[in-house]
Amino acid sequence: MRGKFNEQLEYLGSLFLAIFLALVLGAGIMILNGKNPVQGYMALVSGALGSKYLLATTLAKTVPLILTGLATAISFKSGIFNIGGEGQLYLGAFAAAYVGFTFTELPVVVGIVLAVIAAMVVGGLYAFIPGLLKVYYNIDEVITTIMFNSIAIMFTGYLVNYPFQASQGKMGGTDMIAEGFKFPKLVAMSKLNTSIFYTMIIAVLIYYLMKKTSYGYNFKIVGENSIFSRYAGINNKKYMIWAMIISGALCGIAGAFEVYGTHYRFLQNISKGLAFDGMLVSLIVKNNPVGIVLMSLFFAILKTGSNAMELNTGVPSELILVIQSVIILFIAGESGFKEILKRRQLNKARTVK
Amino acid sequence: MSEEIIKLIGITKRFPGVLANDNVTLDVRKGEIYALVGENGAGKSTLMKTMYGLHQPTEGEVWIKGKKIEDFSPSTAIKNGIGMVHQHFMLLPSFTIAENIVLGKELRKNKVFLDKDEANKKVISLSKEYGLEVDPKLKIEDASVGLQQRVEILKALYKGADILILDEPTAVLTPQETKELFAVIKKLVKEKDMTVIIITHKLNEVIEISDRVGVMRAGKLIGVENTKDVTEKILAEMMVGREVLFEHIDKNDAYGDILVQVDNLWVKDNRGFDAIKGISFGVRAGEILGIAGIEGNGQSELIEALTGIRKAEKGKVYIKNKEATNLSPKKIREMGTSHIPEDRLTTGMSKDSSIEDNILMGKQHSEEFATKGIQLKRKSIKKYAKDLIEKFDVRTASEEVKMGSLSGGNMQKVIIAREFSFDTPILFISQPTRGVDIGAIEFIHEQIVKKRNEGCAIVLVSAELDEIFRLSDRIICLYEGNITGKFINGEISKLDIGYYMTGNRN
Repeated sequence: MRGKFNEQLEYLGSLFLAIFLALVLGAGIMILNGKNPVQGYMALVSGALGSKYLLATTLAKTVPLILTGLATAISFKSGIFNIGGEGQLYLGAFAAAYVGFTFTELPVVVGIVLAVIAAMVVGGLYAFIPGLLKVYYNIDEVITTIMFNSIAIMFTGYLVNYPFQASQGKMGGTDMIAEGFKFPKLVAMSKLNTSIFYTMIIAVLIYYLMKKTSYGYNFKIVGENSIFSRYAGINNKKYMIWAMIISGALCGIAGAFEVYGTHYRFLQNISKGLAFDGMLVSLIVKNNPVGIVLMSLFFAILKTGSNAMELNTGVPSELILVIQSVIILFIAGESGFKEILKRRQLNKARTVK
Repeated sequence: MSEEIIKLIGITKRFPGVLANDNVTLDVRKGEIYALVGENGAGKSTLMKTMYGLHQPTEGEVWIKGKKIEDFSPSTAIKNGIGMVHQHFMLLPSFTIAENIVLGKELRKNKVFLDKDEANKKVISLSKEYGLEVDPKLKIEDASVGLQQRVEILKALYKGADILILDEPTAVLTPQETKELFAVIKKLVKEKDMTVIIITHKLNEVIEISDRVGVMRAGKLIGVENTKDVTEKILAEMMVGREVLFEHIDKNDAYGDILVQVDNLWVKDNRGFDAIKGISFGVRAGEILGIAGIEGNGQSELIEALTGIRKAEKGKVYIKNKEATNLSPKKIREMGTSHIPEDRLTTGMSKDSSIEDNILMGKQHSEEFATKGIQLKRKSIKKYAKDLIEKFDVRTASEEVKMGSLSGGNMQKVIIAREFSFDTPILFISQPTRGVDIGAIEFIHEQIVKKRNEGCAIVLVSAELDEIFRLSDRIICLYEGNITGKFINGEISKLDIGYYMTGNRN
């Protein structure tokens, strides 16, 4: 019989093993291409953390990863699978941008709060629909949310190219939001802005909700065994739908922060798979909120550092995608690793005896 | 008689963190009926699986018919003439009996096509030879449980088995079917010179059928005895390691008001067929109503309808004189009921959560364990869990252990601890001791009786007739969704009730 603690240690063990093996594999690829892997990885690390600007760039990249990662965690933990983060992010971003370029006369705080609320409501509602379809009509939410992604991306694409086209120039974007609404930058020239603080607060809130409250407990039990939760008197439908709404709202916020912190307008291609990256982050750490923050940082380092690596050593930045994918593959094979570790322990036990 | 057909020498089987078999040495002789008894988790099944090649032992040797086994796999075991009938039958419901029997070793026409006629003929000749009557063309889904078991045995014989391992063979049978099975086993041994190993926890059956009996406890073989030299009581003590007192339980005759009333209830099963066909009964405070019946005669659907998990088609359920028909499980619980479900793994718990979290269920919004019903008070929850673990004698290292890693008996104790602690006046209890070891059965029975004596109204469903007879004040008999008899316990014998369980009415 093993305690919770041991189990988590075991998981951490196989996680580090997976990362290590992926890095070794990456090194192998570099060697095959005639590059020096030590130099390559040094360039990667210094390219992500080597200066104030680079560090800021890396941190800025964690914001959407953390938010969409948490969005994934709360839905997956509750046994309903929101793969529609991308669509919710687009709609949320557009809603926030709309507030920002329409109600430009509002006081700054009111305007920003209104924009974030609009993003949450739109993102949440957009996730609510597939949730409803799942719970009442048993229509697979994985399929509906994926299809909803396309609808949202195309629909916002239409909006920015026709009714809400920027007044100057054709660029597949809306007008800028009011100057005062833009989140202040923390490091000059970088993309790091105050949204990282809000993100931290949100992460703490979600952690609190999931780990410390009776509602989080209910979400977890519904996700683990919905037959049990129903038998014990939990209203499964309610919790699954709320998980979807919260998940969608978080993605909406991620979209709003992209607009208010980085682009200052809605852009046609505002997210190139941010929600999917967040989903991977969450999956790797088994939907653990603390793990999501740390893993987002790791992903952000890989992303930022890969450019410097390519510039300085000629190792293509795509290698990072390989490394990410390999980590995920290894994590998927986690149970396999566990088995190997166990067998080794057993063998040891046998020889000792 | 004394030729050793199976020899296990120093078998040790280790799973991570668990020593399932600890240096077990035993032999089975040709032509005997060998019973292997022991509590759940004692290592009987592990040992048999090793014999059948499903596990490789960590240490030790297996010799079958004088040959040492090097390659552990079921196919080797089958080649060596071992056949195993698992507790849960491995049959395809939509296939006929003959098709199921020849599966894996099919008879073919022109090397490609399945030769059904030949298969049917083969099955008929086989069933004649061994005295196991079956209709080869009958589909498994239309066959009774006893018949399905016969098919499993025939399957093993068809593959050439002369050693049969039967895992808890009588768990799903009626008294009559058990009798028939035993007659068949005796005949196989006597006339066909077969060797039979029976895994069981029903000691009266051990005494009735076996020649020798091996008792396991905590992975070790505690002793092997000639059956004629021992009694049930001696075996029980060997199994548990202490004295077991199945004290007589007094019946209650101080009943209170009717707390549960069912009127003309109709319930459908998952396939849409009527599982409960217009039954009516009532349960009073201070009374245990036992529902006897072979599994699959509507018991599950009945309890699910009473607890709000399944929809009732027609009829009414009243709880404390208020209508409770088709309310949600939550509402029905709030009316003063708790429920120990028949399927503890899928319904009664979340195996991925800790014991603590499983015990918390149902009280997570209470002021006792959550500030304003929201912020969980982990300290109080932990203390509460620890208290219940002690009170209900759950054997575990800590309250943080995952529920799924407990043994069946301990899981059941956790569920009972949780449900009984709601202190509700009405309890629905299904199969409370299925797969639970003797020591725990004793304890669970005591708890149930205690609840009755406190004045609870209890509906008890069990496939174990012994349990129904031991605990119930009144008994109703369910057959194909109808009540075939209502009795006061003590006024009917076990054998007679078997008669009603198979569809005869009074």
